Amino acid sequence: MKTAVNTSILTKICIRHYGKRARQSVPKEHHHLPIFQYPTSSDTDQRVYVWGLAEHGALGNQRQLLRQKKPQHYVSYPKRLHFAEQNRVLDAACGYGFSVFSLDTKEHYKVFGTGLNTDSQIGYHAPRKGNPLSVILAPVPIELPFKTPSQTRVTRVAAGRAHLMVLTDKEGVFTLGNNAYGQCGRRIVEGENYFGNQVVHRIPDVDGASVKTIVCGQDHSLIVSDKGEVFAFGWGADGQTGLGHFGTEWRPSRVVGDVQGENIVKVACAADCVLALSEKGEVFGWGNTEYGQLNNEQQVNSALNLPNCRGLGKIRDIAAGGTLCMVLNEDGEVFVWGYGILGVGPQVDHLKEPTRVPRTLFGWNEYQPDTRVKSVTCGLSHSAAVTNHGDLFTWGRNRGGCLGLGHTKDQFFPLRVAIGARVKKVSFGVDHSLAVCQPHV
Amino acid sequence: MFQNIRDIILANRFYVVQTTSIKFSQESARTFYQEHKNKFFYHRLVSFMTSGSVDVHILAREDAVTAWRVLMGPTKVYQAQFSDPNTIRGSYGISDTRNATHGSDSPESAAREIALLFPTFDLHVWSQYQEPSFRAGKVELCLNTFVHKLLDTARTIKN
Repeated sequence: MKTAVNTSILTKICIRHYGKRARQSVPKEHHHLPIFQYPTSSDTDQRVYVWGLAEHGALGNQRQLLRQKKPQHYVSYPKRLHFAEQNRVLDAACGYGFSVFSLDTKEHYKVFGTGLNTDSQIGYHAPRKGNPLSVILAPVPIELPFKTPSQTRVTRVAAGRAHLMVLTDKEGVFTLGNNAYGQCGRRIVEGENYFGNQVVHRIPDVDGASVKTIVCGQDHSLIVSDKGEVFAFGWGADGQTGLGHFGTEWRPSRVVGDVQGENIVKVACAADCVLALSEKGEVFGWGNTEYGQLNNEQQVNSALNLPNCRGLGKIRDIAAGGTLCMVLNEDGEVFVWGYGILGVGPQVDHLKEPTRVPRTLFGWNEYQPDTRVKSVTCGLSHSAAVTNHGDLFTWGRNRGGCLGLGHTKDQFFPLRVAIGARVKKVSFGVDHSLAVCQPHV
Repeated sequence: MFQNIRDIILANRFYVVQTTSIKFSQESARTFYQEHKNKFFYHRLVSFMTSGSVDVHILAREDAVTAWRVLMGPTKVYQAQFSDPNTIRGSYGISDTRNATHGSDSPESAAREIALLFPTFDLHVWSQYQEPSFRAGKVELCLNTFVHKLLDTARTIKN
């Protein structure tokens, strides 16, 4: 009996005890409890993925690859670049066998390059005095003569076959590398040796107007001014400078023809055929047209308002490869024409008229009806499209695994690339590629 | 890339008789391509060839002109990369003009081009004194100069 009483008292005490604790914790401490937050990325975080031929070091991850048992000649799927984890990459570009990255920094070195350096396109790098390197396997800083490095930002980089253009917000455009055709915008010096060359040229403005954007062809360069005018210099043997002749020109000169008086917002070029897009949504073209991209002639040396793009609606984005052209209208529809693997059939096509690539190939279906293509890009014989969800689709000639699909076979229709991030910009070299991305979470 | 093409040359049993690196002048490029004078790409070709230095080799092999042209593939790279992807132009060319390699189209034009690019080389003397050794395979490759040298020069001259 005695024991039973004791037990009930004990129980009573226990219940009271727990009840008291619960009552105390609810009103005050609840809001002060720590909440564990998983790490997420900020809007400014960037990732860079690289893939394609690795032999020339343009992927900049040769050290990563060397750690593996077998050194790889190519990487056929996107690989995250360590360099971009440690630095904030603003823009990146691929040339022929080299890659360039511009960083968001107040330091003197804002532009880094890796890959082939046979024409000093990524600067002068000599570990031993007088012995410059012709191949560089990891990103190295490029010496550029900034006047006020702490206030200048490098907003854009563009790379050609063997030259480089760097656009800054306050100090104009810097060019370096091969100038055999005047593609650096400086006087052509007969017999100049470009290997181990330390010359960096500065183009402060074009005809008094500041530079809005820059684009490099293989051996020529294009500048769009703030007023929407296009300037070109370099090799013009196919008319790719659009100056009304087929000669070389080293002075940045105004493109003649139908673009005059138009407000040009974008210029696209991978090799020798150039497309330009006006604010009104009209498409202009000049340069090489051996595969019937622009008209039925072989070469066009002044800008031509393309008649076959008129019925496609307002054009929002353009891309020009070596033999094929691609446009994107405001409804997110992609049209291709020219020669090569165009993405509209299981063979190498030759189409004169713009042909729509079915939107289902870019991930549109009844469950994702808001999927739209947002931008298009072309390499020499391969193409890419990025959707509003940040998905990257590639197709075309798969040289060195540059499509990033995990193999080196040619791809005949758009296929999604396995990148674990939202793609913002993709840049194609001749046999390698890179994408600047934003993390998903 | 240069090394890869050199490897292809050797793997296909070509002998390298002479090697040099030259930079075309406007005039010599025009003479070199005079057969294309009336084509639309003549100016483009000449300005491309004068833009930098080129490696020139005299290659020797049984039926060398045809064999080399098969190895190079079609002139137009944009088409060659789909029709003949394993040829030199199909795999290393960038565009129809920047097509990586040139090759003579006949023994006659080879002789003309050799005379233009190697003024000191006498084809007649070579075919008389050295060709038998090349045919017999009595040559070895000098890796520094990338030229096949006769194994025993003294004996060849006596023959």
